[in-house]
Amino acid sequence: MLWLVSAQLVNGIAIGMIYALMSFGLSIIKGLLNIPNFAHGALYALGAYICYSAVSMGLPFALGLLAAFAGAALAGWALQRFAIQPASKSGYLAQLVTLFGAALVIEQMLLIGWGTIGLSYSPPPLLRGAVNLGFTVVPKYIAFASVFSALVIVSVWLLIERTKFGAYLRAGIERPDTTRALGINVDLLLGVGMMMGAGLAGLAGGLALPLVGATSTMGGDMLGIAFVVLVIGGLGSLYGSVAAGVLVGVVQSLTAIAAPAASTAIIYAAMIGILLFRPQGLFGER
Amino acid sequence: MTEESLAASQAIPSVKAGRRTFALLKAFAAIAAVCVLPLVMPINIATEILIYGMFAMATNLLIGTAGLFSFGQAAFFGVGGYAAGYFLAHGWTSLPLVLFMAFASGGLLAAMIGGLIIRRLGIYFMMLTFAFNQLVYYVIYSWHSVTGGEDGLAGIRRPVLDLPLIGSFSFDDNRSLYGLVCVLFLLSIGVLARLVQSPFGLVLAAARQNSRRTISLGYHVPALQLAAYVIAGAVSGVAGALFGMLYRIMPIDSVHWAASAYVVFMVVIGGQRSMLGPVIGAAVFIWLQGLFSLAWTRWPLLLGLFVIIIMTYLPQGLVGLASQRWMRAIKRGARV
Repeated sequence: MLWLVSAQLVNGIAIGMIYALMSFGLSIIKGLLNIPNFAHGALYALGAYICYSAVSMGLPFALGLLAAFAGAALAGWALQRFAIQPASKSGYLAQLVTLFGAALVIEQMLLIGWGTIGLSYSPPPLLRGAVNLGFTVVPKYIAFASVFSALVIVSVWLLIERTKFGAYLRAGIERPDTTRALGINVDLLLGVGMMMGAGLAGLAGGLALPLVGATSTMGGDMLGIAFVVLVIGGLGSLYGSVAAGVLVGVVQSLTAIAAPAASTAIIYAAMIGILLFRPQGLFGER
Repeated sequence: MTEESLAASQAIPSVKAGRRTFALLKAFAAIAAVCVLPLVMPINIATEILIYGMFAMATNLLIGTAGLFSFGQAAFFGVGGYAAGYFLAHGWTSLPLVLFMAFASGGLLAAMIGGLIIRRLGIYFMMLTFAFNQLVYYVIYSWHSVTGGEDGLAGIRRPVLDLPLIGSFSFDDNRSLYGLVCVLFLLSIGVLARLVQSPFGLVLAAARQNSRRTISLGYHVPALQLAAYVIAGAVSGVAGALFGMLYRIMPIDSVHWAASAYVVFMVVIGGQRSMLGPVIGAAVFIWLQGLFSLAWTRWPLLLGLFVIIIMTYLPQGLVGLASQRWMRAIKRGARV
């Protein structure tokens, strides 16, 4: 039993880290542009497909991940430049609907480019197999995914909290008008922020590829989960989503031991519980 | 009293009468339009346009009037359709019963979800509507024994209306089903138009523009918003039931988040400031969907591009554009 529980715990942390990457990106975009990025799921799927193409062309997996980040970031920039920005003059609803439209376009392009059949990819030789820790066995890729995601999140955190660029970004999130008045190019900031958020979604997709493969529907499913994570973490806090992501992943994996069918339902139940008893989210302020 | 104000006070009754004539004219125009519709296109398409028109009008009560951006309305459309479809597929074919089931299940689900989320504002509210839509989709997808899961709920029969003295009337013929859809469509357009103009609708609109001020005037805004949410859910449920009757199947796609996005597209393409806007949006959308899906299997791509282009160049929607042109023409006329 301990064996099973700890194995699922490790699994849950890895999946949770991927949720955290997703929701962290969503959180940055939400903070800067003040919109829920409905195309975030599509960018996640895009990352998985790009990573698949890169590794099947013979590139190492690390470059595949980089390509997933870069490709999704580029798509995020295009989204900001050609869809969100032109629609911003027409109001809030127009921006949201545009993002929905963009999500449709991206998902259909994936189907055109890579076909309707789901793709799967096993991790590179170095990351295959498992490490025996005595009380449990940890697949190497699961360990890698967790550590790598943690490193990415920490470096983004350093970028936001410890650099001048990060200071601009935080200023842009908290007081966009004042920031603009200080002569900082907020539009550029929005573009870069969108690229970062989208890139993180793509990276999450690339990381998830060896675990769940690449399918055209993966984006919509993930978007629902990412929204739930954001609600549980609390919309007001940039980092709440990271903790909530890991938490959701772990809870989901542990539930899968007792009742596999209920593992998706449980996170929605958790969301309803949060709404009832702590509507500002676990880490949000009122 | 000056002459002008005297004239104005005398003008009021005639203005009122004028408004009543105008409303009557609009009602006749609506009836005439639904009668002409099946003559100019296949009856299935006409029926679908009216069904989605109902769905879009109900959604616009939230988006256009109350300013509640719900991105999860397909949950109510789907649940109404599945509830009615379940009864119809299992031999309960009484029309009032299935319509009531659809209305009640859509409204009840909206009351449950709305009760949880109606006080959440802005982005939070939108994300929650989306998440609950996913939850409903997931439940319907997994509950295979009742809903048919991935294959959708098949074997839906058309309802039968039992009238005392006259006998029973079945809707097996597509023309009679169209008649039923027309009646329900006109009924909902009338009820929703009345609601929007009623004090209830005015308070909702006031809360859309300035929620805090409306609350401080003593209106219980969340309760009224919840009522709007429930009404929209119930009407969407009926629309879903009609959809299931039309194609005799309730596909799982009808509860997918994309379906929620589509109905918001319809509202936005048409225009949010009138009853007619969402219906025209629905007509354009269904027509385009038919056209694109004939042309290419990847038709949602074209639909997405169309939406992005409309949002960039025509943010007020088609009806908004038409009325802008109209106003400009009137002004030009006045100048001459």
